[in-house]
Amino acid sequence: MTTTGIFVEVPAVQALPLDGRAPSGRPARWRRVLRALPPYLYLLPALACVVFWTYRPLAQTVQLSFYHWDMLPTSPAEPAGLDNYRRLLSSPQLGRSLWLTVVFILGMVPFTIIVPTFVGLVTRRLRGRTAALYRALVFAPMLVPPVAGAVVWQWLLDPRYGAVDRLLGTDLNWLQQTGPAQLAIVVITGWHVLGFAVLIVTAGIAGISDDYTEAAALDGASRGQTTRWITLPLLSPTLLFLALMTVLLSAQWSFPVIDNLTQGGPSGATTNIYYFLWETAFQGFAAGSAAAAGVLFFLGFGVLALVLVRLSDRLGVHDN
Amino acid sequence: MIETRRPRQQWIGHVVLGLLSIACIFPIYWMYATSFRRPADVGAASLVPWPLSVQGYRDAAHIIDIGGLLLNTFTVAGLTAAGQLLTSLFAAYALTRWRFRGQQLAYLLFVGTWLVPFQVTMLPNYIVIVQLGLLNTLAGVIVPMLCSVLGVMMLRQHLQAFPRELLEAATMDGRSSWATLWTVVVPNLRAPLASLAILLFITSWNEYFWPAMVLRHSRSVIQLGLEGFFSPEGTDWSALMAAAGLACLPVFALYLVLQRQIVSAFVRSGIR
Repeated sequence: MTTTGIFVEVPAVQALPLDGRAPSGRPARWRRVLRALPPYLYLLPALACVVFWTYRPLAQTVQLSFYHWDMLPTSPAEPAGLDNYRRLLSSPQLGRSLWLTVVFILGMVPFTIIVPTFVGLVTRRLRGRTAALYRALVFAPMLVPPVAGAVVWQWLLDPRYGAVDRLLGTDLNWLQQTGPAQLAIVVITGWHVLGFAVLIVTAGIAGISDDYTEAAALDGASRGQTTRWITLPLLSPTLLFLALMTVLLSAQWSFPVIDNLTQGGPSGATTNIYYFLWETAFQGFAAGSAAAAGVLFFLGFGVLALVLVRLSDRLGVHDN
Repeated sequence: MIETRRPRQQWIGHVVLGLLSIACIFPIYWMYATSFRRPADVGAASLVPWPLSVQGYRDAAHIIDIGGLLLNTFTVAGLTAAGQLLTSLFAAYALTRWRFRGQQLAYLLFVGTWLVPFQVTMLPNYIVIVQLGLLNTLAGVIVPMLCSVLGVMMLRQHLQAFPRELLEAATMDGRSSWATLWTVVVPNLRAPLASLAILLFITSWNEYFWPAMVLRHSRSVIQLGLEGFFSPEGTDWSALMAAAGLACLPVFALYLVLQRQIVSAFVRSGIR
């Protein structure tokens, strides 16, 4: 080896910068690039999709919110400054739909937190086939396509033949009256997600080691005390997670129900924030205002999510 | 003390869960019950439909092209789920097998999408679909859905727990990363891949918002086709319930066969 080295050394002094280094240097860099490439290639399809269909439109929505545009390709968009935001924030409809969204989220709490927790606690000793059957049945509504669920409920709430009126002995035209329509939207959305919440709580309770409750029982704690001071605190991360989902997703879950059953009516009684957005864009044809509303919701929900995540980090008791 | 209480505790548990199950399942039962009633006694209050009739299904087939709509929905859900599965598998593979520059950024870009509500992106995306000439086509529904962040995250979690020795052994054998993916990773990841595939299929089958925008005029998936039943002269309820029941059927069939996997996939996707 050394001999060849010496042998080439003499002519190589001149040749290296011209032929020797270029062919050997470029392939080396090429090879380095090639070796670094695979992860990026594998990432490309998913990442391109996310960037093109989520982040590009996000940026465009922000941009659009500073323009007036009626969504017709023939008419150009006109700069509007903060006009869209100003008009939106002073519109009574926005305040109303925001308030309805809050009421609606509160209405969902029994379905996503209270009942599931109660059920989870009462049934934690149930095991075996019957318990699995119950869970399968409770979960089934989650699988019903939202539109199918909506038409089934429309039938159940039918003022002439509806099973609900018969069952309750009432004579209500549920979807045409303000209060009942709101209640119906909450119950139907709750029906869809209840099983999911029950399963989450059940999984949370199953994850709590029996050692704690047994130790408490040995110390003479009653069942109620054990539940209050041991099980519930250990369950708090699960419950906070459910709270987070309720706040962030309730309006989302109810959208197909509202769109199919009430279209935001009667007289705006079920127009929540997302439905308001949908109406502004596709019935009002005001792209700028809709975009401005979208940006405001994005910021609002983002802040809300951050606060809740912080809160769950602070309050959550973790079982190590 | 605890021992003597257990039977009563169990009994209460059965009652509570039993009642809850009935409340949850009743609307579904009522849908199928109504679909089998004769049009004449569609308003009957009897719990069991009798005499049985399939007239509702026949009428439904007259009003809308059920077979065609189901086929379209199947195509959309199947292609969407397959595409999402593939892109998530690649992305999760990239995120777990190599350490590379920009890895953290890529991860954040995926997670960050949770914060962007669909309503914020819908307008610009709609405009792109119009410009691409994909309005009222199934492709217009599928293409923007081809990446599932949920899928990326779930597979990433599974791949992080994947034994590194297997990957290293494959590299020693001189196998390329592509060959390793298909001969080592995928065969060992069959169970999570299957449950993710089912989850993605169901989610896409039940998707409403985006199809409702893209197919506003053609209404060519079953979810949107159901709206064809409402008319000013009154609704043919047994036909509508038959169509709704058929729209649920594929998912229920999957659920009956693969109940445990589906439930655990849903729960895990929620907890993450």
